[in-house]
Amino acid sequence: MNLHENCTPKDDAIVSRSYESILSATASSGTSGSSLNAADASEYSYISATPNPYEDTDNNGPETDHKHSVTTSSTKSRFINNTDSTALSKLQTPPPQPQNDEVSVVTPFLVKHINDQSKIPKDNFHKYCYRHNPEITCNKSTDEARMKRIQTSLDRLPSRDQEAITHVWSIFSASPLQHRELILKGLLSQCCFPQLSFISQEVSSLIRIDFLSTLPMEISLKILCYLDCRSLCNAAQVSRKWKALADDDRVWHHMCEQHIDRKCPNCGWGLPLMHMKRAREMTDEDIKPIIKRKIEELEAPNHEGSSASSQESVENPSKKLKTSPEEVKQKMKRRPWKSVYSERFKLEKNWRKGIYTTTTFKGHTDGVTCLQFNRKYLMTGSYDATIKIWKVDTGECLKTLSGHTKGVRSLVFDSQKLITGGLDSTIKVWNYHTGQCIATYRGHDDAVVSVDFANKSIVSGSADHTIKVWHVDSRTCYTLRGHTDWVNCVKIHPASNTVFSASDDTTIRMWDLQSNQCLRVFGGMDNNGHLGQVQSVIPFTYKENLIEDGHDSDAEGQSHRENADTTEENETDGNLRPCDGADDELASNPNYPTHLITCSLDNTIKLWCVKTGKCIRTQFGHIEGVWSINADTFRIISGAHDRLIKVWDLQNGKCLHTFANDSYVSCVGLSDSKFAAGLENGLVKMYSFE
Amino acid sequence: MSSPKVIIISSEDERFPVDPKVAEKSVLIKNMINDLNPDGLTEDFEIPTPNVRANVLSKVLEWCEHHKNTTFHEEEDDDTKKTTPVEEWDKNFLKVDQEMLYDIIMAANYLNITPLMISGCKVVAEMIKSKSPEELRKTFNIVNDFTPEEEAAIRRENEWAEDR
Repeated sequence: MNLHENCTPKDDAIVSRSYESILSATASSGTSGSSLNAADASEYSYISATPNPYEDTDNNGPETDHKHSVTTSSTKSRFINNTDSTALSKLQTPPPQPQNDEVSVVTPFLVKHINDQSKIPKDNFHKYCYRHNPEITCNKSTDEARMKRIQTSLDRLPSRDQEAITHVWSIFSASPLQHRELILKGLLSQCCFPQLSFISQEVSSLIRIDFLSTLPMEISLKILCYLDCRSLCNAAQVSRKWKALADDDRVWHHMCEQHIDRKCPNCGWGLPLMHMKRAREMTDEDIKPIIKRKIEELEAPNHEGSSASSQESVENPSKKLKTSPEEVKQKMKRRPWKSVYSERFKLEKNWRKGIYTTTTFKGHTDGVTCLQFNRKYLMTGSYDATIKIWKVDTGECLKTLSGHTKGVRSLVFDSQKLITGGLDSTIKVWNYHTGQCIATYRGHDDAVVSVDFANKSIVSGSADHTIKVWHVDSRTCYTLRGHTDWVNCVKIHPASNTVFSASDDTTIRMWDLQSNQCLRVFGGMDNNGHLGQVQSVIPFTYKENLIEDGHDSDAEGQSHRENADTTEENETDGNLRPCDGADDELASNPNYPTHLITCSLDNTIKLWCVKTGKCIRTQFGHIEGVWSINADTFRIISGAHDRLIKVWDLQNGKCLHTFANDSYVSCVGLSDSKFAAGLENGLVKMYSFE
Repeated sequence: MSSPKVIIISSEDERFPVDPKVAEKSVLIKNMINDLNPDGLTEDFEIPTPNVRANVLSKVLEWCEHHKNTTFHEEEDDDTKKTTPVEEWDKNFLKVDQEMLYDIIMAANYLNITPLMISGCKVVAEMIKSKSPEELRKTFNIVNDFTPEEEAAIRRENEWAEDR
């Protein structure tokens, strides 16, 4: 029999003989099922039978046949806890006709090894397998059900067979580790394939480990950090232990880091930055009244105390007062990262699914040309020569600013001031809280169609083909020349102290505000530039991978090559063409934006690489000229002459939504949760995804 | 003369002689070798790992052997680690029963073999991914210890993540 090949010579005798008894038990039961159930039971007995029988046997001397039956039954009674008593009583009757030598093998084996078990190391790691270590709370409910089933199967057998099978189990249960492996190997080598298949099925259902609960916590948290939010939320519903782990602030902080203000490369989801501080922490103003209340509470009893007793109590409250507002602040400010995440997730879901509400702002008597909004205010400029300030929540018009003598073409505001540029060639600075015009800048020879400001500088682009940089403090003004047509858009990039300008001459230029030099011209056929007037430019920095056009865009560029010469000539007219030196400088300055987004009356939106000066992606979809674009870290929004507003994915350039209107869209604005569109018919529409 | 070996001894006192290069995938062992042999190994060096059983140790050493020439970027920032899926070989290597997977993770943790542990954690994460709470209980043999009221409340609390 091949069994012997597995045995060490030392154990050979014992095993082969006990093996015979196993064989006889299997044979007499006649079914493969019961013998395999024995394997199931052994696992249970590992815990309940193994450590316990010491007391029974430790103090006993030489064993007898009678003793044998006691040992077996005690083992048995431990491993089937809730059995009916008939099975036990039957087992206690001595076997009717066992060969004596067989019993004499079983009993000494049991006694010897049960004694031996006191030699097993005391610590639970070595005494038990993972599954039965009492230090590890582990679910036994399935074991219970399994034991019941085994008991039922056993009960159906004649008592002699029950006896025999129990012997097998007892032997296994009493065996030390190496013996057990040997027994199992022997059993397995006897099994035919269907039986092995049964075992493999049983085994896979038996080895199920609650990883998160049993692994060290830091590893469990690590595992959870590899999950997406939906899986985490499902995990939180499994059990108390899982909930505690899956809701852990560290896990969700990681999730927030992964997704907020950036598109997660793993799942393609990005969540808006929103007001990061506000979302996670209450602002000081929110907390002030609460702190005040707390301090008063603290002070009140102390005042009473100090009046009665010594200076000591006067000193103490002052110390208390120093720390307590901070403590209160700390407590008040924290909000679970999971709720921060879920709030943004809901918003992002609405953006994806296109679930929104609209507000219409009615008031302008001519086309709206420009707009900007924040949490509170929406400001719009119009050909009707006025600027209107609206309340975002209600749609009510708070103020109408008059002063420009012709249409307002451009506006930009911050928390204090509003700066506008008009067709009357002036730039005006307003205190929009009072509605007063603080200053008017004159200098352009034609309409001011674009303004921007940063720190103490205002930049304006004009129909007179120039850009002017107004340094408010030093009252100096520089003129940047180079464009050969209207300058439709100027944007300051404060981090690198540069300005980007978009012009009707189909190019975009990058200027250095320090030297007032043109650093680069974006355009021309070679770079796959715009074919029509460029209306808007947005510089930004994007660290992750932006999807670029394939090589087909190059081919397209070549098909239009005949027209290229004229564009190039225009460029050379503008004195400063990018040379190699400039290229190097561009590459080396880490503060420069990495990309530009531009839109043009050629119906396209283009993505540019600042470093190379090439257009790397062209977005098609509008069927007439694109007047205006806006973008954040996730989206591009565009408004066009085809009366459509389109929302695009910034990262991959795909169009996500299209919204139709009954008038041309001349300007668009975008925030985390909303976008606004100014229409040619004087209306402003705001779409909110909150 | 053959070069000196590192002999790793399992909890059952089984001896596993391996090349130092293989053994040093474990930062624990590497540090131990370097601390105790500042001049380099001149003879066989025994290291007992009483927490690791032989069948697990042989599995772990199989991994070390396969990756003996792989350079891992230990200081990889967390995001790149999260993004990269489990390497194909590791994935197949870790196609084992849950007990073995558990033991490998624990051994990798104890022996300080970070890349193996990361692979192990990712495999467990894959087992958790996109399963319903009930499926998770079934997969990992967990009893639902919430009251029905609690369960309903927690379901509502987590509803926002459903149905992308």
